[in-house]
Amino acid sequence: MLMCRDLAEIASDYIDGELSARQNLPVKMHLTMCQDCRTFIGNLRASTRLMQAHSSGHPDEELLRRIDARISEALKTRRTRDNDGE
Amino acid sequence: MVMSVREDSEERLITLLKAQDDQAFHEAVSTYTPGMLAVARFYLDPSTAEEVVQDCWVTVVDAIQKFEGRSGLKTWLHRIVANRCKNKLRAGKREVATDFSEVLEPELAKRFNSARRWDVPPKLRFHESADTLMENGALSDCLDKHLSALPETQRSALMLYEAHQHQSEDVCNILDVSASNLRVLLHRARQKIFLMVETFQETGEC
Ligand SMILES: [Zn+2]
Repeated sequence: MLMCRDLAEIASDYIDGELSARQNLPVKMHLTMCQDCRTFIGNLRASTRLMQAHSSGHPDEELLRRIDARISEALKTRRTRDNDGE
Repeated sequence: MVMSVREDSEERLITLLKAQDDQAFHEAVSTYTPGMLAVARFYLDPSTAEEVVQDCWVTVVDAIQKFEGRSGLKTWLHRIVANRCKNKLRAGKREVATDFSEVLEPELAKRFNSARRWDVPPKLRFHESADTLMENGALSDCLDKHLSALPETQRSALMLYEAHQHQSEDVCNILDVSASNLRVLLHRARQKIFLMVETFQETGEC
């Protein structure tokens, strides 16, 4: 019989739909009976979505200013080099 | 075919970039950095991603001279970022040795008893949506910190898997791991994020 720990071990495969129909069935049965594992799966799913939301962030002004500053410097170097007739 | 105003203005922008115009670079940076950052973040932790994007822009100052416009400027910039990230990943690969024999994080494994039932079950349900949760700046900072602390291959596995629309094969190729090892990396990274969010919800601390 599939126990809580077994389910925790294959939780990501379950979430990603990587389990075969045969493997899926005992997980689904366990989840109908076990509130704790339902919570676990729900929270693991939420963590995954959280990570996705987090990774699509926008740059802050500070970063853009730093990039501008570095580009100005690089441009200056390049102009000097060009003028020296490289 | 619609030749848009945008294409015209892109051409104009490229000409100015080639002429080393400061203002044009300023314009390009604010237009294209968000996309470049999104690409880098698929591969790397947030702070390394920012570093890579900065470095790429410096490279662009010289490289733009050879830009022939066969692809759009945005595509070209994204390609530069992706290549640099991949090199960085390859260089750092040796750093991590994940124990592929153990599927559960030790921290989580401790929470089951010998009968393989929950001893310390997950207490809270994350009710809010991901977007609502992310509006909490403290949680966002905490996530940043934990993502940076993940072993490089675990973090890359997680980010790449999402970025490549769950195409495991692509991710396995980039990371040079087997499909089953990728599953372990993914799962362990997710458990760590889960544990982090749980602690944060419970104690308000990171
Ligand atoms: Zn259970």
